[in-house]
Parts: sequence; C-alpha cells; structure tokens
Amino acid sequence: MTEPVDKHAGTSGTPPGKSLRGAGRALALAWLLVVAVLLGHNAYLWLVQRASPDTDILALLPSSRHDDVMQQAFVHMVDSAQQKVVVLIGEADWDKATQAASAYEAVIRKQPALLQPMAGDAAQLQGDWLASFDRSRLMLLTPEQRSKLRSDSPQQWSQLALGNMYGAFGGPKLGAWQDDPFGLFSGWVQARAQETPVRPRDGRLFVESGGRSYVLLLMNLQQSAFSISAQQQVIPLLDQAGRAAKQAAPDAEIITAGVILHAAAGSQQASSEMATIGAGSLIGIVLLMWLTFRSLKPIALIALSIAIGCLGALSVSWLLFGRLHLLTLVFGASLVGIAQDYAIYFLCARLGTAAQIDSRTLLRRLLPGLALMLLAAVIGYLGMALTPFPGLRQMAVFSVLGLLFAWLTVILWFPALIHADTLRSTPLADRCSHSIGRWPRFHANRNGYLLAAVFAVLAAIGLMRLTVSDDIRALQKTPQRLIDDQIKLGKLLDTPTPAQFYLVRGDTAEQVLQREEQLKQRLQDLIGKKLISGVQAVSNWVPSQRQQHADRDLIAATLLTPQGPLAAIAAAIDEPAQWVQDMRQRLSAHAEPLLPQAFIDSPAGQPWRHLWLGKTGAQYATQYASIVAVRGLNDYRQLPLLAAAAAPADGVQWVDKVADISAVLHYYREYMTWALLAAYFTIFLLLTLRYRRAAWRAIAPPLLATLATLALFGLTGQPLQLFHVLACLLLLGLGVDYGIFLQEPTDRHQRFSWLTVGLSAISALLSFGLLALSNSPPLHAFGLTMLIGMALVWLISPCFRGAASSSSSPHETRQ
Amino acid sequence: MTMTLRKLAACAAFFAVFTAANTVAEAAAPVAQIQAALTKPAVMCGRFDQTKQLTGIKKPLLSNGRFCVAAGKGILWQTLQPFPSTLRITRNAIVQMQNGRVAMRLDAQQEPVVKMINNVLFSLLAGDLSQLDKLFELDGAIKNGNWNVALKAREPGLAKAIGDIRLEGAAFVNKVIMQEASGDHTEIVFSAIQTGDKAMTAEEGAMFD
Repeated sequence: MTEPVDKHAGTSGTPPGKSLRGAGRALALAWLLVVAVLLGHNAYLWLVQRASPDTDILALLPSSRHDDVMQQAFVHMVDSAQQKVVVLIGEADWDKATQAASAYEAVIRKQPALLQPMAGDAAQLQGDWLASFDRSRLMLLTPEQRSKLRSDSPQQWSQLALGNMYGAFGGPKLGAWQDDPFGLFSGWVQARAQETPVRPRDGRLFVESGGRSYVLLLMNLQQSAFSISAQQQVIPLLDQAGRAAKQAAPDAEIITAGVILHAAAGSQQASSEMATIGAGSLIGIVLLMWLTFRSLKPIALIALSIAIGCLGALSVSWLLFGRLHLLTLVFGASLVGIAQDYAIYFLCARLGTAAQIDSRTLLRRLLPGLALMLLAAVIGYLGMALTPFPGLRQMAVFSVLGLLFAWLTVILWFPALIHADTLRSTPLADRCSHSIGRWPRFHANRNGYLLAAVFAVLAAIGLMRLTVSDDIRALQKTPQRLIDDQIKLGKLLDTPTPAQFYLVRGDTAEQVLQREEQLKQRLQDLIGKKLISGVQAVSNWVPSQRQQHADRDLIAATLLTPQGPLAAIAAAIDEPAQWVQDMRQRLSAHAEPLLPQAFIDSPAGQPWRHLWLGKTGAQYATQYASIVAVRGLNDYRQLPLLAAAAAPADGVQWVDKVADISAVLHYYREYMTWALLAAYFTIFLLLTLRYRRAAWRAIAPPLLATLATLALFGLTGQPLQLFHVLACLLLLGLGVDYGIFLQEPTDRHQRFSWLTVGLSAISALLSFGLLALSNSPPLHAFGLTMLIGMALVWLISPCFRGAASSSSSPHETRQ
Repeated sequence: MTMTLRKLAACAAFFAVFTAANTVAEAAAPVAQIQAALTKPAVMCGRFDQTKQLTGIKKPLLSNGRFCVAAGKGILWQTLQPFPSTLRITRNAIVQMQNGRVAMRLDAQQEPVVKMINNVLFSLLAGDLSQLDKLFELDGAIKNGNWNVALKAREPGLAKAIGDIRLEGAAFVNKVIMQEASGDHTEIVFSAIQTGDKAMTAEEGAMFD
C-alpha cells in the first residue's frame, strides 16, 4: 500500500500506464466472458438440470462413518411418514365424531390434487387378509401360548376346547370350531391386533382414550411436504376442514400431525423473518451507502462483486464435487460476505484519493493490500479443507472460490466502472473518517498492561464458564401447539419413534429374523419394567423358520398326540377314534412355512413394509436387514438402556438419529474450532512476513473481540454451538481485513481505511448481526456472535492502528 | 384383528338385539311394532337351552344354564350343563371362567373393542338402537304379538364372518338362531324369564361388582 510507485504514478499519462490500461481492458472483457459462462452454467444447473442441494445432515459425516444400510433404514422410516397427514377427530359421542370426520373429509376430497384420504382398513375389513396366515396356523404361537403349552396338562387343554365348543360366545374365534379347537390361532391374531390400539368401526378407524372416541383419518400428501407452494395450499385446506368438522360437532377435538405442518411452520417463520430482518438490513445498508457516497452505485457494485463470487463458487464447486450440501450453501454464502471488504476498500480508497489519480493507478497501489486480504482469507479457510469432513471441505472450497471470484471482479472491473467523479465525499463520510485521529490508541505502557491484565482475567473467567451444546433439539424451534398435538397423537396411536430404532442385519433373511427374536428376548426385561410398551418387528408376524418349526413341533407333541387332548374331547362328545385321526390330519395340514417376503408382499404386510429392508448391499456382499421399532418410549433418559440391549456382534445395532445428528454437530464444532485456531496461526505467520513485529496489531482486533464475545457467552450461560464457531471464523476474516487496513502508514490513508472499516462493519452488522433477532436458534446464535463480535472488532481495531506519520503529498489531497 | 372385531361386534350386536330389541328407531314399521311389543326391564334373568351343530361333529351339542342382563352393568352367561363355565361381559372386560380358572380374558384397556362392545351394548340397553341399525339391516314381521327379526350385517366382511342372525319372541326374546358361514349352527331358546329386583341372586349381583 505504500509502494513508492503510488506517489509517482499519480502524474498519469506515462506509457506504462497506457499499456496497463490496454491489458486491463482486455482482462475486463475476458472476465465478462467468464461471468457470462458462469451465468449460463448456473442457469443450466438450477433451471435445466433442476439441481437441488443435499439436505441429509448425515451426509456430512466422513464416509467411513457413513453407513449406507443405516442411511437406507432411516430413509425407509422417514419416507413412510413424510408424505402422510394424520388427523384424529375426537368426541365423547362416537356418532358426533364420525359426523365431524365426514365433514372434515368432505372438504379434503374437494382437493384431490393436494391430499388424498387413504382407504385405511376398510379394504382389509372386506378382503380376507388373514388368508396369508391361514395355511400356517400351526406355525404361529405367542410367547404366552408357548409357556402354556409347556405347563398346562392335556386335561386342561381338552376342557378349554370343550368350553370353546359349547360356549355361545367363547371369546373371539376365527372360522369353524374344528379349525381352531384350542383357540391358538385366535389368540395369536389377538396378540397381533394389540400391536396397535386402532380398530375398525363402522367402516372407519377408531381409537378410544380418556372417554373420547376418535376417528383416525390418514391422508396422503400428493406433493412434497417441503414444497412451499404445497404448504401454502394444504395448511389453509386443513384449517378449513377443521372448521367444517367443528361446525358438525362443536365440541370435537381435532389433533393434526404431519411433517408438512412442521415444514410449513418453519418456512412461515423463515419468510416472515426474511421480510422483516431482510428488509431491515437492506434498507439500513442502502441508507448507509447513500449517506456515505450520495449514490446507490456503490451498493450495486458491492452486490455485483458478491453475486459473481457466489455464482462462481456455485459453478466450480458443483463441478468439483458433483453435488453440494445445503449447509455448504448457507455458510458458504455467508462467508463470501467477507468479499464486501474488497469492494468497500476500493470505493473508500477512491473517495479518499485525489481525482487526478485514475482508478487503474489507484488499483495498483491497493493491490498488495487486497492480495494480502485475499491470501489471509484463503489460508484461513484452507484449514477447514484439511479436516476429514466432506461438509467442511465443501464449505472451505466454496468460500475460497467465492472470495476469489469476488476479488477478481473488484480487480478487473472496478477500475473501469468507478472513476474519480463517480463518488462524491459527504460531510458524514468526512467526519467519520476523521474521527480516527481522536480514537484512543493502545500503548504498551503501565496502563496498557494493566488493561490487558484486567481483560485477560475477565476473559479467562468467562471462557472457563463456557459450556458447549451439540443437541440437535436445541436447534429446533417448533410451535408448542404442533409439539403438543404430536405428543398426544403419539400416545393415542402408540406409534413408535421414527428417530430411534434397532437395525438388524444378517447374511440371510432367516438369520435376520432369528436375530430379531433374540433381540426381542433381551427386550422382555425392559417391557417388564414398562420402559417400553413393545416392539414392532416383522418377526412378530413371520417368526424365523427355526421358531416356526419349533412351534409346530411343540403343538404336535402336546395337543396332537394320539392319546392327547383330542382323544379326551372325542370321548366327551362321543366321537370315534377316526374323528381324532381326522382332526389331527386337519390341523396338521395348516403347517406351511410362512416367509417374510411373501408376508411383506401380502395386504396384511402392507402396514409393516417400512420395517423390512430386505436384500441390501453390493452383489458380492449381499446382506439382509430389517428394523425393529420401539413403541411406548416416553422417557428419553432411558435411551442408554435400549442401546445396551443391542449386541453389535449379533448384527443388531441401536440407531439414534437424534444422537447421530448431534454427534455430527459435535464433530463439526470441534473440527471447526481447530480450524479456527489454525487459521489464526497461519494468518498471523502471513502477517508477520509483511508487518514483521507489528503483525500482532492486525490480528489483535478479531482475536480480542472473539475472546470477549465467547467470554460473554460464558458469563451469560449461553452454551457454545457449531454456529457460534462458524460466526467466529467470519469474524476473523473481517477483523483481519480491518487490522490490515489500519496498518496504513499515513494519517490520510488511515482515514479512508477507517471509513472502510466503518462501512464494512456496519454492513456486516446489518446483514449478519440482525440475524440475532431471528427465532431460529442456529441463525440467532450466528447473528448474536456477529452482532457482539463485529461491534467489538469495529471499536477495538482503531486502538491497534499502526503508528502513522502525518505527512501527505499535497497533490493527493482532495480539492 | 379385524376377524376378532367382527366376532366381538357380532356378539355385541346379538346381545343388543336379544336384551333390548325394543327400540328400533328408524327401522321398518314391523320393527317399530316389535319394539313396542317388547318390555324393557332393568334386570332380566332366565334359563337358556342351547343346541349347537358344528361341522365335523356328528351329534348336536346340548347345553343349558342361566343368564342375566342388567342395564348399565353387563351380561352374565352361566353354563351349567354339561359342565360349568361362566362368561361375564362388563364395561371393563370380557372374562370367561372355567373350573375356577380364567380361560379367557379381554381387558378394555388392552383391547379397545371391549369398550366399544360395551358402549354399543349399553347405549342399546338405554333404548338407542341406532347403533344396531348402523351395523345391520333389520327385517322383521309381527303377528298376534309374536314376532321375528332377521339381521344381516351391512358390511360384507362382517356378514361373511358372522353369517345370519334370526330372533324370535313376544314380550321377550324367546329364541336366537345363528347360522355361520363356516357351517356352525347355534340355536338358543330362553325360558322362565324373571324381571325386577329379585330376578338376580345376590351371588349373581356380586359378580357384576
């Protein structure tokens, strides 16, 4: 910035200046071509290819930690729920509940393109869904029946059968007496029925709780739950249907749940915040630029450089990675915000430089400083690229590319776009820039050391109190009404949690089922302690072949022996030995082994399809996998006990999606913290090369501001999250720029540097700091860090400005 | 699950008709007359004689015993011959006792259909037959105070599971005939019907508590 050439180049018109101008024009045109290509590529990506960013947060894990089968299992669970809307309409009187439900459905049916009511069990009621089990009656027993068969005497069994035979209403029985004389099959079906409290009633699905009868309505969303246009149509439709139901039955309780409700609440919050926070920051920045430059051109130019930065980053990152994660876009785009400094720096320098010096010459003078700023940021972010996390690598590459493209835009275009007469200084800009002279300066004397000691102590106290939190649940803020409905619905329907389950794997389907059975045995203890109410598993319906054959042998050995209970029954009803023989044959005929795939494909298996992953993995390592879902879990502190029931050696794995995502956030926070420290270190080394012993002056402002901000979080008890650390990285990027600006050797240069700092800091406060007002916890965390940190950097940085000489060339001073 | 329901719903419907087939609100005119012909006691007890003809068994199965129906409480079905067994249906559970042991038990908490059956049953005992009308098509005839009603389930699935039910009676239900699709056939004849507070013994009353 202080190259001797600066002062001489100002005389202009020298031949090297001309060739420079020609080369500059050629480069500017070349850059125009590059930008056109970028625009074209982005248009192709988003409009033609309809590229969409990854949203799965587990995709951010290193691939060695990433488990494809587990991923598939989760997608299986989520997909089965995502496109559903579940509604419960309850009334003390069942008739009123059905009337309300009919009114509700009538409204929904008018919009078949949005929501379609699912047939529910009505089809099952008519279709003979038990047919798939009928041929295997002899192979199916409940655990209670097994123990009864082992303990009860033949006499007890014959009496039971006779009771069933004579009873007018001997409990539930299926078909003729002679097909199920001991009621075993009925009992097994009864046990299966108890896996859900939902029952068909009058052609509807019915749940009873707390003296209310509920109609269960299941609806399929016809468009993506995350489509904002679908949300804007579906939510009013549901509200309208709810009103219709209330009209039919004023006391009806309506409970609604579905992913779309959460998604809609999220986008609604985001869009209303966008409107207020976004408008606030835009107005603020425009006003700021207007007051400083009396022109809107600067803001347009700053926006242009950042926009080209983002476009370039998008294009090249997509080409490099073949995909991008949503998180990359969010943070990458915000880190590209550092690029504003290049544009603002150039603009302020232009404002503070004599009109005789043309913009190209000015650029040559600014180039070393600009290069140092870019280099510092690039080196800082490269640390992130060295971590094993694909998301961090993407973010680093995205940010570096974005900065590079924005920087090149400033270098190649701004001299041509901005001339000495483009900008006019305003009294406000003058006053601001002159205030640097009166700003206190940090001196390495007794008072300075005392101040440093006090700060060190306070910061140490604050930092020691700093806690961390990586809990994903702390990052969500869902309206309480939705959470209440969700909890109520979960209790009423006894649904399993979709985020926690067991993943069972094996070499064959049979092995998977056997492992499920072993797992269920281990879970009996927890069911007994009422930690969970039960499990949903395919093996409940289709036991392993080993179990099926064991059950058949058990029945044959206890009930079907020639002298067993059948003989006693025959004696009681006066039938001959032939009858016993016929009955034995008749019952033994229902011994066809039941196979999981056949069950899954049958209508009876339809509700359980999400539990069976079937064949997975590559051809050379075929594996089978299934999900065992946990019902009635309400105390989440007991999760470790459930995890302990999984025995990984036996192919059973406890999957806790919530914990997994929290783990991702934890790793990212840790690695990001190391990347931040590494960035401070490398940037400091770089600055040392240029500023020698004064390098600490440039790095002190962001470092002190960051320490103070973190200490403040420690003192106020706000736990540290990934999003705070990411903001700290941005703070470093901007803060180092300010440090570099303010090492200018002359008062006059420091004045426009100070103006640059002010503009940049206020823009950053307006664009990032205002996010502190957001209701979304991650944005709030990010924004609050930026708000406090930026304000501090802004205020601290002039205290560490380099010692400036008051000399200035008279011909450079503005007229 | 659905089969279980069908059976239980069928039982419920049967009891409903049997105990209080007296208030068919919106049914055909003969049904309304039948309803008028029936008395509506709070407690009713009597003897039953049951004849069952099961497929695969040559001889008819004969049994008899005592039954009680108490409005607001439930139903007690005590088989005495050829061997004792008791079936009790209340708000909270359906329990079958045999030789002092619980042979079968369905709790309302575990099996919501139990509550549903009871709800249907008790609403019917209170004289609201709209529930029954919803499940069955009622077709009746009455002549000189003697009547009969044929019940056909509206849902094809239900109809297939329970088959046809036929009721005969005068001031009370005298006879129930059930013909199941599986071929099993049941006929129950009621006699010696008593009503009023003294109809039920103290022991029977205690079984409802």
